[in-house]
Amino acid sequence: MTYILNRLLSIVLTLFLISVITFGVTNILPGDVATMIMGTQSNPAALAGLRESLGLNDPVIMRYGRWIGGLLTGDWGHSLVFKQPIAELLIQKIKASSLIVIMSMVIALACAVPLGVWAAVHRNRWQDTVSSSSALLGISLPDFFWGIVMILLFARTLGWFPSSGFADPAQEFGRALMHAFLPALALGLGLMAHLTRMTRSTMTGILEQEFIRVSRAKGLAERTVVWRYALANAIGPVMTVAGLQVGYLFGSIIVVETLFNYTGMGWLTYQALLNRDVPLIQATVFVIAAVVMLTNLIVDLLYLLVDPRIRLG
Amino acid sequence: MKRFLTPKGLIGLSLVLAILLIAILAPLLIPADLATRMTMTARLRPPSADYLLGTDQLGRSLFYRVMLGANTSLMIAGAAVAMSVLLGLPLGIISGYYRGHVDNVLMRLVDTLLSFPALLLALTISAMLGPNLPNTIIAIGIAFTPFLARIIRGEALRVAQMPYVEAARAAGTNDLQMILRHILPNIMPPIIVQATISLAFAILAEAGLSFLGLGTQPPQSSWGLMIQASRDYLDIAPWTALVPGAAVALTVLGLNMFGDTLRDVLDPRTK
Amino acid sequence: MKRRDFLKSTAAVIGGAGFLGTLHPATLTAQDAPKRGGTLIWGHSETTQNLDIHQTGTASTLRVLQNVHAPIVTVDQNLKVIPNLAEKYEQSDDGLTYTFRLRPGVKFHNGKTMTSADVKYSFERCKNPATGAVNFEVFNNVAAIETPDDLTVVVKMSKVNAPFLSRLAENGAGAIMPEGSGEAQANTPIGAGPFKFVRREFGHEVELQRFDDYWDGPAYLERVIAREVTEPTVRLTGLRTGELHMINDIPADRIEEIKSNSKLQVRTWFPLNWDFVNFNHEFEPFKDKRVRLAFDLLIDKEQLLQGALWGQGKLTATPSYPTSTSRNAALSNRPQDIQKAKALLAEAGYGPGKLKVVFKTTTNYPYHIEAAQIMVEWFREAGVQMTIEQLTWSDWLSQVWTNKDFQVSMMNFFTLWEPDFLYYSEWHSTGAFNYRKIKDPVLDELLEKARVTTDPAARDDIYKQVQQRIFDEVHDVILWFRNGSIGAQPSVGGIDTIVHPNGSNLNFHKVWLRA
Repeated sequence: MTYILNRLLSIVLTLFLISVITFGVTNILPGDVATMIMGTQSNPAALAGLRESLGLNDPVIMRYGRWIGGLLTGDWGHSLVFKQPIAELLIQKIKASSLIVIMSMVIALACAVPLGVWAAVHRNRWQDTVSSSSALLGISLPDFFWGIVMILLFARTLGWFPSSGFADPAQEFGRALMHAFLPALALGLGLMAHLTRMTRSTMTGILEQEFIRVSRAKGLAERTVVWRYALANAIGPVMTVAGLQVGYLFGSIIVVETLFNYTGMGWLTYQALLNRDVPLIQATVFVIAAVVMLTNLIVDLLYLLVDPRIRLG
Repeated sequence: MKRFLTPKGLIGLSLVLAILLIAILAPLLIPADLATRMTMTARLRPPSADYLLGTDQLGRSLFYRVMLGANTSLMIAGAAVAMSVLLGLPLGIISGYYRGHVDNVLMRLVDTLLSFPALLLALTISAMLGPNLPNTIIAIGIAFTPFLARIIRGEALRVAQMPYVEAARAAGTNDLQMILRHILPNIMPPIIVQATISLAFAILAEAGLSFLGLGTQPPQSSWGLMIQASRDYLDIAPWTALVPGAAVALTVLGLNMFGDTLRDVLDPRTK
Repeated sequence: MKRRDFLKSTAAVIGGAGFLGTLHPATLTAQDAPKRGGTLIWGHSETTQNLDIHQTGTASTLRVLQNVHAPIVTVDQNLKVIPNLAEKYEQSDDGLTYTFRLRPGVKFHNGKTMTSADVKYSFERCKNPATGAVNFEVFNNVAAIETPDDLTVVVKMSKVNAPFLSRLAENGAGAIMPEGSGEAQANTPIGAGPFKFVRREFGHEVELQRFDDYWDGPAYLERVIAREVTEPTVRLTGLRTGELHMINDIPADRIEEIKSNSKLQVRTWFPLNWDFVNFNHEFEPFKDKRVRLAFDLLIDKEQLLQGALWGQGKLTATPSYPTSTSRNAALSNRPQDIQKAKALLAEAGYGPGKLKVVFKTTTNYPYHIEAAQIMVEWFREAGVQMTIEQLTWSDWLSQVWTNKDFQVSMMNFFTLWEPDFLYYSEWHSTGAFNYRKIKDPVLDELLEKARVTTDPAARDDIYKQVQQRIFDEVHDVILWFRNGSIGAQPSVGGIDTIVHPNGSNLNFHKVWLRA
């Protein structure tokens, strides 16, 4: 119980730090919101007036206070360029991105676990070489390169999937899945490679342990030993790594969504950065970091449930 | 040294050597204007005897561009990793060596920074500073620092508890000497391994940044920039994307294989 | 191409369907009667931004809003102002009073009937600086807007504002919106156009629905979905696979190929916009006319057009609309002459290696980056060291446009066919678009004179002198008109009615889908 309380306290602290870093990065660095808002109509007098009315001349602490106050009370402000309420935009785009993030996780786990186990069971034989080499290739190719290859193969040559775009799952579920598939695959391949390597090394370790030898000695079928006993023990660490990779996924979606013109969080973040839409940058960066942090926390807690041997103070 | 003589080690080593050689020699041997010379009558040509790897949308030789791009990509990645090691070393060592409150505060900060995906952090910094070569290095360097600081701290923590360090401390060695003489040399091997692997990630990050237009600037050739330019011609000239893509892949693959082997050699605890 | 041929083909364009492209056989089927109903999916090349037609300055957003709003006056194929929501209008002899007689029974999307109060509201909203309207200066000398009855609007000027009427026919300024709807416009635009705004999923699509009470008769299409597909190749693929009925802005390098070997309908027209290379007139070397002239001479415009736009455009030495009566037809682009340029540079004190310049371009126009890379090579030949900085659109706006912190840049503008709008804002020393810090007293005087000259012929003559002056002084290097293009499935009918005479807007009122 104290552990959970401690963790909760640390979440609040971390969220606070995340907000400070986000605000700092977007405020201390050069670049002027007022110029961006006025665009082609700016003139020095109007700019000065706008800066004043936006409170840009206030001390940093005050501006931070206003921003964080807005976040806490649900007033996330408006995008400067798109004039839309930011909270509304974020909800829309998070939904879109969840679809590809979840799909890529499923694809990655569904392929990585069997591949990793296969490699571990046949350690140092050709199966291991095949599995390990493809995993190595997987982590070496940039996701946008995969994306390009997939567009060429599945969209251009075979015509199975649309090469880009987005459809709302709430309206047309089938079409939404078709649009999400290639970006999810491009995201999932890198992740799959990491997880394959992780599964292999964890399984290798477990297969050498005493209880496996005992099980084998007892005459249990090799399949049962590997898939029931060994894997049950390996799944915890593998899930942890999968959870930790969420951060990596959220970095990659910026590139992948832009490539596939899939208009989710990554795309929105990129648009915000391109347009130097500071309130929108702050909101997207903050939300992504918070999501990554919370996912890591959930994974930790799940791990606690799966593997009760671990008790942290 | 024997452990390098595995297929993986050999392939990794030769890939890394080959790319290093290209990166160093290409700018000396290839006149710069060969990579920027445009031939409007030979745009988007597929690979042939005249154009070894084909041409891009402005009729520039992809062969020369990809060769010269090696220098840009490796230079940026190398400088960025060097920067993150230099920033990570003091952070990690202080944290791991002194522990206690300093450690708590620093690592809390590092953990928070780790919540920001490295690419997102690099993109944001680059967009805010304005995209150009030094800023690309700074952006990637800062983005990778928390990760390296975490690794270095772990190593420093481990080494600081070793019996010989305890012994040296009992002998009255001061902190600075201790860090320079005992901690630093002993944490170097794992850091070298980690730096090699980070180099691979930095090359991917540079490619990603340039691909999004927030990295290297034209007419300088960089692999990510070449892939960005190829997007509009993907369906009629796929080689314009595949050539630089393959260059990135081979380099990163080589670095990963080399790094893996290096780890087996230098850091025998892990397999 | 010689200048004479260029003008001849211009005439042909206007005499014909308004397009350079030949009619594809697929559109020539007999008994092709328009059909009602259906949803047209349009692959739009850009992301729509602020949907308030007064505030939005981007052509991409206007392209969609053009279907939601109706302007008080508009232009015909020859860019002559004609009535629209006003069934007639007149200007007093002293040029100070405009009287608009509104069409009775025009409905807004909210069911209300348009009255003079709505017109007054719209004009005043646009004029009010607090609105932040892009076109507020259209209403510059307006002293009072009176509404003697429900269908009459009288606009009184304090000073002659010769371009007033044609500026009302330009994007945005003349759009009439229901009284009091201003606040809602940014997210849910409402007007009196042929289509009602239904929803926008930001960054994804905008849905428009037929407005049955449109004053000029309801549109054929039931719905138009403007799906935002910003990647050119992806847009083309979508059209090819049938996912999209129509796209605008076909990748330049693909147009010829699609025209010749596919069933798709392709229309190209010019001009969509025009491009020019800019000098910062306060950067020391560019204060010397010889240096600007040398830079002009270093550029092989035809080669650059081929290189950057795959030939999808036409060279021009003046930005005046090809059909404009004020166009100075005597001007033509200077041919490349590297030797002469070198001599001029040496004369000005910038021998080989002595001049270093930074060329700021924006990633918003990828072909500008390609053009810059091509130009760098020519400049190198003349011993000028040029480096490129590719800026995001926002950085370009703040560095080049607002802070005027640049040496060389490149920009394009949509065809501002109204000459005052074009020349005054671009080249007058106080012009809103004069980011190059050009201060030419001769030009200023000419431009001010044109503003108060009401005789059309005399006004045209002044603008011709303006063009000559800009060319002689090499204030900028004007390059070309860029072609616009749309592509559509064979099933799309009425494709020739889509492009507005201004070359930028797309209108779906008279478009239908064949069964």
